[in-house]
Amino acid sequence: MERRSVRSRKVSKRIATVSAAERENVTHARLEALENDDAAGEGVVGDSDEEFLLEESDEEMEFGKRSKKSKGAKRKTRAMLEAERKGPLTFASLLEEAAASEDPMAKEVARMYSAAAAGPPEGAAPRRWCSVCGFAAPYKCVRCGSRFCTRKCYAVHMETRCLKFVG
Amino acid sequence: MNPEPVVVLDNGGSSCKIGMAGASDPFRLFPNAVGRSKGERQSFVGDQIVGYPDASSLSLKRPFDRGYLVSWDVEKSVWWRAFKSMLQQQPQDCGLLMTEAPFNLPSIQTSTMQMVFEEYGFKSFLAMPAQPLSLLEWQAQQPSLPANTAGIGVVVDAGFSFTHAVPMCDGRLLPGAVRRINVGGKALTNYFKELVSYRSINMMEETYLVDNIKEQVCFVSTHLASDLTASRKGTHKLEYVLPDGVNERIGYARKPLAKGEHTEKNAKEQVLTLNNERFMVPEVLFQPTDIGLQQAGLPQAIVEAVEAAPTDLHPLLYSNVLCTGGCATCPGFQDRLYRELRALVPDDFEASASS
Ligand SMILES: [Zn+2]
Ligand SMILES: [Zn+2]
Repeated sequence: MERRSVRSRKVSKRIATVSAAERENVTHARLEALENDDAAGEGVVGDSDEEFLLEESDEEMEFGKRSKKSKGAKRKTRAMLEAERKGPLTFASLLEEAAASEDPMAKEVARMYSAAAAGPPEGAAPRRWCSVCGFAAPYKCVRCGSRFCTRKCYAVHMETRCLKFVG
Repeated sequence: MNPEPVVVLDNGGSSCKIGMAGASDPFRLFPNAVGRSKGERQSFVGDQIVGYPDASSLSLKRPFDRGYLVSWDVEKSVWWRAFKSMLQQQPQDCGLLMTEAPFNLPSIQTSTMQMVFEEYGFKSFLAMPAQPLSLLEWQAQQPSLPANTAGIGVVVDAGFSFTHAVPMCDGRLLPGAVRRINVGGKALTNYFKELVSYRSINMMEETYLVDNIKEQVCFVSTHLASDLTASRKGTHKLEYVLPDGVNERIGYARKPLAKGEHTEKNAKEQVLTLNNERFMVPEVLFQPTDIGLQQAGLPQAIVEAVEAAPTDLHPLLYSNVLCTGGCATCPGFQDRLYRELRALVPDDFEASASS
């Protein structure tokens, strides 16, 4: 059972409640994390890209003309040089760039991208699920606002998760 | 004059499909990623990932961020590998037709074009959203459907990075009416990973394996309340036997063993216990607020999309909702979508959800 997750509690003992703004930050950080490629430390576009590159000569081996030309020095396209100059790209930064661009076309695409986001949910209040077991959760933790369904799940929450992301 | 052969590349955030236009050979499917083995510094590109016996131990790097192509270092390797090993033709002799997400940014289009011409030397290049191509395929299958004869429909593309509702008329996308929910298969896999890691065994480092497990065990509930009740009684409980690294590469799911059924072999197994995660994870597409995302669920997003289209198109749009993308293949997806959409669409309109 060595794989069993052992989650240490890095939570300050003082009973603190978390402000609405802080809770929102936690939610936001969590949503961002759900878009990550791989766990721990490796962002969407990491800094270790180099390790992933194949040898240029190997890549182009079967394209006769090319491989002769590119033996030795590594050939780079304008796009690659530009990418190097700017460092790792994220979509958010490109979108921001487009929105602030002098080019009316780029501006318009950025506007349309933003306008296409589905609106806020209508009607029913958000459903409440237990942050521990996933079933319907009538109660709320007074410190962090997480939901829980029973005394048992609350105990697990306090032991493992409460304020974990903000503590 | 012979037109040049055209390479068709469906360049998705999770995987690519490649083939020659008009050719009878099936398209080849492979991950749009480069994997690195932990420990050894070895790289596996595209289809090599699938072929690697211990694929679940690879950490994957993808060229896409939020559904758009941003990392050429990664994409370049994947494309070289694909063009070299999967095509009979050289890029220099072909044109390239490639899919891109709706509202692709001009800066990304420019760098893509530079790559296509300068790095690979294609003769010509055209990029277009994938959704009109899906509708075309559907038209060919169901030519007599009234909406299809007019090229009208809503393509629901439940993809890797996001989910789109794309209304179309005359086979063309109505750009002002497209709606997007910022959640897709990638977030669902990560959410699933988070849940099982918290509730059962730590799988945070094993995205590839978790993604496979998700594909095998998840389903969309058609009656959430009754599935939750059933789940409390253990009806949906499954055990997932994790790969032992020797005989098993991916592992397998089974009904929980009864007390007397355990053998000596079972004692050595590492078993992931699954219950309501099986349907509460895909549930996010229908209620993004479950993960704190303040956006409408898919049925409401489709209604928003249709309402943004010209009024006279509404009946035909609702009558032809076509589901595509990886998440749409989750069992129960279409039923649930139809059920909820039916409740939102005016009674005198026909509603449909096909895939
Ligand atoms: Zn609970
Ligand atoms: Zn708490």
